[in-house]
Amino acid sequence: MGQRVSSTVLAIALLSQPIVQGQGSGRQGGSASPRAAAPVDLTGTWVSVVTEDWRWRMRPPPKGDFASLPLTEAAIKVANAWEPARDTAAGEQCRGYGAPAVMRLPGRIRVSWENDATLKVETEAGTQTRLFHFTRPSSPGKPTWQGTSVAKWEAAGGRRGGAPRGGALRVMTGNLRPGYLRKNGVPYSANAQLTEYYNVVTDETTKDTWLIVTTMVEDPQYLSVPRFVTSSHFKKVDAAVWMPTPCQAD
Amino acid sequence: MKVVMVAVALLAVAAPAAAQVDFSGEWAPRFWEDQPERVPGPELGDYAGIPISDAARRRADTWDAAIQTQPEWQCRPHSADYIWRGPSNLRIWKEVDPVSREITAFHAEWLRSVDRTIYLDGRPHPPADALHTWAGFSTARWVGDILEVTVTHLKEGYLRRNGLPRSDKATLKEYWIRNGDYLTVVSIVHDPVYLTEPFIRTTDYELNLRQQIPPYPCSVVQETDRAKGVVPHFLPGANPFLREYAEKHGIPFEAARGGADTMYPGSSRPVAAAVATRSSTTALQTAPIQILPVRGNIHVLQGAGANITVSIGRDGVLLVDTGVAQMTDAVLAAIRRLQDELDLRERPLGFAAETRSSVADRHVEPPAKPIRYIVNTHVHPDHTGGNARLRLAGRTFTGGNVAGTIADATEGAAILAHEKVLNRMTEAGPGQRPAPFDVLPTDTYYTDGMKLSHFFNGEGVQLLHQPDAHSDGDTLVYFRGSDVIAAGDVYLTTTYPVIDVERGGTINGVIDSLNRILDLTIPEFRTEGGTLVVPGHGRISDAADVAFYRDMVTIVRDRIQAMAAKGMTLDEVKAARPTADWDPRYGATTGPWTTDMFIEAVYRTVGRGTTSQ
Repeated sequence: MGQRVSSTVLAIALLSQPIVQGQGSGRQGGSASPRAAAPVDLTGTWVSVVTEDWRWRMRPPPKGDFASLPLTEAAIKVANAWEPARDTAAGEQCRGYGAPAVMRLPGRIRVSWENDATLKVETEAGTQTRLFHFTRPSSPGKPTWQGTSVAKWEAAGGRRGGAPRGGALRVMTGNLRPGYLRKNGVPYSANAQLTEYYNVVTDETTKDTWLIVTTMVEDPQYLSVPRFVTSSHFKKVDAAVWMPTPCQAD
Repeated sequence: MKVVMVAVALLAVAAPAAAQVDFSGEWAPRFWEDQPERVPGPELGDYAGIPISDAARRRADTWDAAIQTQPEWQCRPHSADYIWRGPSNLRIWKEVDPVSREITAFHAEWLRSVDRTIYLDGRPHPPADALHTWAGFSTARWVGDILEVTVTHLKEGYLRRNGLPRSDKATLKEYWIRNGDYLTVVSIVHDPVYLTEPFIRTTDYELNLRQQIPPYPCSVVQETDRAKGVVPHFLPGANPFLREYAEKHGIPFEAARGGADTMYPGSSRPVAAAVATRSSTTALQTAPIQILPVRGNIHVLQGAGANITVSIGRDGVLLVDTGVAQMTDAVLAAIRRLQDELDLRERPLGFAAETRSSVADRHVEPPAKPIRYIVNTHVHPDHTGGNARLRLAGRTFTGGNVAGTIADATEGAAILAHEKVLNRMTEAGPGQRPAPFDVLPTDTYYTDGMKLSHFFNGEGVQLLHQPDAHSDGDTLVYFRGSDVIAAGDVYLTTTYPVIDVERGGTINGVIDSLNRILDLTIPEFRTEGGTLVVPGHGRISDAADVAFYRDMVTIVRDRIQAMAAKGMTLDEVKAARPTADWDPRYGATTGPWTTDMFIEAVYRTVGRGTTSQ
């Protein structure tokens, strides 16, 4: 009950923040829709290129393998009690596919506009859908694996006149259903709050376009640091291939 | 209205002309990705998730961590591409142009690194054959608020600290992204030698205003008793540790072997992912004869066949080697350019304003002195082909009974070489004629070395014979004041060692020569800079570059020696591909010196010469 209350408070706090406005000297283009005002194009199909944390991301890590993670004693206790069969039996196979973890899972993601004010991110891993709202949802609803996300553009600043040249997307997510930060039962709580930055770079050497996602998870209950920061990278690929897979508890 | 206009004008003045995010500050690394690899260190045999080539895998499979105990590697810092992942705090500071007030450079330094400068002032990258360093040469531009950095001129480094190599042909792209108090750095390595696809990593730092990076002194010590010339490594197939990582973590062995496929889950590898990487440094050299400054009086001319090292100054010109004959005009033109750039003006002797004027000659320089010495490092025509004309373009200053006895003693420059060079030139091989008189050395030595008997251009010049190496008459030329060694063909950065077995060359002689060079070199800092080495072909180097090459040659020698000891025939040795780890870097299947020719030369001479295990 206490967790549920905290989660709701966080969600309200999250949603009360300004949504459609630039940060610092960024600009949002007056009355243009978030879609029209996008300083960077995030849409398309992207594949995660797993060059980091390989042994925990590319296969279900064994129980008790918490290396690299800054966990509280409470988190370790929960993780040590992990039983994937129990999750499956409870219909909670998607615990490892929630918003704080899903961008680290291998597979493709597909980014598109749901409407002029909502960016949609679909994942092959677990067949999940995330919605990034540029306009405030009327109510947070009940907690979900992907929670409630609000987004705003951060246009590149410091230029005199003209259209913004590049920028980033900032996404804040709360209202989360408790899940796993790592698929072997390392928990995040309903209190967890997620901040993400989405940037795009193009490597002129190969002309590859990369989506860079910096992820910050705050969860005082299970994380021993104020913010747990990771970054993930995705390469833009042919949109023709899309092979979603269901959630699996192990 | 006037007030409004003034306000607008003030705003315009206050706005910076270009996006300039400030990255300066103290940054603490966050090790929540790959912590076991980055802090305690990677496990042997863990190559998963890295798009390595077969050559990289083979090289890592035979890597022995004990190689790090060699003097050349004890103080080796992480390279620009790896340092982001190292266990070290980061400081970034900036240079600001006092006129434009724009950021003209960032400096990044870590605990175990050299200061790395990232230039934003529009300067070009150096020529491809300039010295490579651990930090490389970095320029940057703004792409929105993201700083895009291009790095070239990297020394060989590692993709992972368990023996996975990254070659000196690699280039690096970085993207610095600041999100509030967090810094995310995207690093993309392009290595045509050891990667089949670009290798991307993203690393996070958090601003920490209370951080201080302490000094990190490093002194080389004798870490272990080891015979001179031994390079630790495992023979192929003999490394007992390769399966430990996979077995310990329950990972399929084939997955732990790495390669591009292991970066992508299941079947999600993009069809067009295998993009050919290229080295941007290779396109930088365009001029037929390129003049590269080395240090002080010393320059190197490139593009005339072999490298020609030039000492130029008030005493005249000394050339180490003369290139191929057909490039002599271009070489002479390059020497004239160097002479024209000399500042030979001197204060008039006995100058005093009350009695003498300097106005009359202040705009006139005395003529530069001519080519006076040529040193041939060995006999091959790409090093001696210009002898005749370059010698005749020069002059020997002599007189007295020398000029009286030898009528042509003042004609042309002196050509110095080991006696065996003269012998090889004057002996007629089958179907060959002896070299004409004009190309022959005029002054030879037959001992282990000789010195110019006086300073030349302000420094001593020493000639050191290297017996039975590239040939039987090799000479190192050591400019003792400039601290530069012209190595001739005992050291190359372009191919495997060329061993002229017919003219007395041996693999062990080459290795001895490389070790001799290393004995002479002293790095400026962390096995970088200091004594510079000009190879017979290729780029300007320092001790680390020579040590990488020495390690490679020694390991290949050891492999072929072990195969020969087992009774393998030459064809069997070739089929075993003892050089496969380095073939993408140094190998060739066509041209004057193929990998097969190198293997054969090693096979024929292993056990001969002066070094053996």
